[in-house]
Amino acid sequence: MSPKEVSDGIFEITKRGGKQLATKNLVPGASVYGEILIEINGCEYRIWNPKRSKLAAMVIKKFNVPITQDSKVLYLGAASGTTVSHVSDIVQNGIVYAVEFSPRTMRDLIGLCDARPNIVPILADANRPQSYAHIVEKVDIIFQEVAQPNQSEIAAVNAKQFLKKDGHLLLSIKARSIDTVANPKKVFKEEVRKLEHDFDVLDRRELVPFHEDHLGVLAWMRKSSLRSD
Amino acid sequence: MRIITWFGILTLDDHGSVVEWDLFPKDTDALVERLVRPKEPGMDMPPAGFDLRCAAIKCNFVASNDEYYILLRDVSILAAKYRISCGTPDMGVIQAIEALDNIDETSNILSERLAEWYGLYFPEVGLSSEPLARFVAKYGSRSNVLPGDYLYKKAASSMGAKLTGPDEELLRIFAENICTMYDSRNLIEEYIVKSMEISAPNLTNIAGALIGARLVSMAGGLERLARFPSSTVQVIGANRALFKHLRGRASSPKHGIIFNHPQIRNALWWQRGKIARALAAKITLAVRMDMYSDGLNESLKIGLDAKIGRIKAANPKPPKRENKGVMGKEKSKYKSKYKYKYNDNNNNNDNNNNNNNNDDNDKSTGGR
Ligand SMILES: C[S@@+](CC[C@H](N)C(=O)[O-])C[C@H]1O[C@@H](n2cnc3c(N)ncnc32)[C@H](O)[C@@H]1O
Repeated sequence: MSPKEVSDGIFEITKRGGKQLATKNLVPGASVYGEILIEINGCEYRIWNPKRSKLAAMVIKKFNVPITQDSKVLYLGAASGTTVSHVSDIVQNGIVYAVEFSPRTMRDLIGLCDARPNIVPILADANRPQSYAHIVEKVDIIFQEVAQPNQSEIAAVNAKQFLKKDGHLLLSIKARSIDTVANPKKVFKEEVRKLEHDFDVLDRRELVPFHEDHLGVLAWMRKSSLRSD
Repeated sequence: MRIITWFGILTLDDHGSVVEWDLFPKDTDALVERLVRPKEPGMDMPPAGFDLRCAAIKCNFVASNDEYYILLRDVSILAAKYRISCGTPDMGVIQAIEALDNIDETSNILSERLAEWYGLYFPEVGLSSEPLARFVAKYGSRSNVLPGDYLYKKAASSMGAKLTGPDEELLRIFAENICTMYDSRNLIEEYIVKSMEISAPNLTNIAGALIGARLVSMAGGLERLARFPSSTVQVIGANRALFKHLRGRASSPKHGIIFNHPQIRNALWWQRGKIARALAAKITLAVRMDMYSDGLNESLKIGLDAKIGRIKAANPKPPKRENKGVMGKEKSKYKSKYKYKYNDNNNNNDNNNNNNNNDDNDKSTGGR
């Protein structure tokens, strides 16, 4: 049962016939949020549950997740770091800039940052990239999960400020945080249309059965929206 | 262009290349202190697409990528810790604004008592609350009023009883105590204004220190207030008004405490709802700015004033009343009931009541 690497740093472990997603633990011995640790061939893996992470669900849904071990990632809406911890596992030679605007949640996230060498915590509002532009460098990936009604706007302003020319945006859109009553399919269509103002949408899939009424999106900057640099 | 970064102040040429730099000391604590300090005005943030890490290496702030990340991570963690630990300068303000309300309530009760009590000895004095307390504390018996005082004549010809001996002493001390309360009220108010200017400069600029502090207090902290949508901000405090109303002490609440804002109070009644919406929207923005300590941003206030100007210009006349049918009759019945109830004891309340009824109309005609 040797783990199969389905994407850089992301593994599929077959156990008693079932398949499970996992990342290589950057801090062996430590479980972050109660996830199971498995040792295989002297290497420790952390099981990554797609029901607890939109990014894991995107991997299972066969998104071509462009994160590598050297990636610099801007993570918007880091919360207490469930998903961030796996991204930190993946980008073992890179860095995660983790933006979260709730001080209470930030407390948990800081605990994670203390234990891991590659996460930079930022207490800020993702609506205003200008308030952390003096800290964050150019990045390869923006992962966004802020659950705000103006998600596409937030994605656009951050991409313009920080995303490399050929960098990617990974986005999880929650229909109900945009419109509580409208048909999710309609909301998704509208959001994708908004995104296409600044981005080329490369892939989009609903994250069922792991997350109801969530759409995963992979995109990159539209050539016409590119900065001249 | 001069930009600020976490490691220093850089000067860029027209192509965005760094030409000059003024690096901060490479000391973790000093860097953290810089990072959590509100942004100085006149300094730009790095432009879109600026490569911070390359700049840090080019200026020799760090020798390698590894060193850059190690230092940035340490500094960011400490800065985040600092900001969540002292993210509660609002707690002092919350206590202070509640204390202010307690003092108001208590001093009102005591002042009423003083007025009644002192009325036995000088019913013509014509003072109440703080001026009365100051007067009694100063003179005691009306026989001590000096000829220069404008109440001298009234005091000399008063029909009140004589105030002497232990009675005078007692009343004087009672009045002095009330004065102390007014003094500490002033101190608390000063404290609130000062702390609000420091911990929430934008909110203070838009809403005023006291209304701002009340919003923070009722929301349970600046952070929670920052999470409220502006529609909620608009009615914060309405519950309290509701209780007062139920106890018969105030008109029925349509609006939260932001309706005490002079820009709304002094506006014409049919403009108030619209101004309140604009104000609440700006307050929401201001609180968010304050949460992330960016310092004072004057553009909010300028934007608000412009918006209020437009509202006033666009709505110069009261809306015409439609639906005069059953609804209209009911309304006038409702109104007269209140008139009857309030007229003899409190004109002010009656006024408010009128306004509220009018606001109702505003909603029912303009809203749908
Ligand atoms: C759905 S949760 C993210 C879950 C998390 N990434 C995980 O799976 O581990 C969304 C988070 O975004 C944060 N958030 C919402 N709006 C934000 C904003 N404007 N700026 C920064 N963070 C925001 C919320 O506080 C919340 O913690």
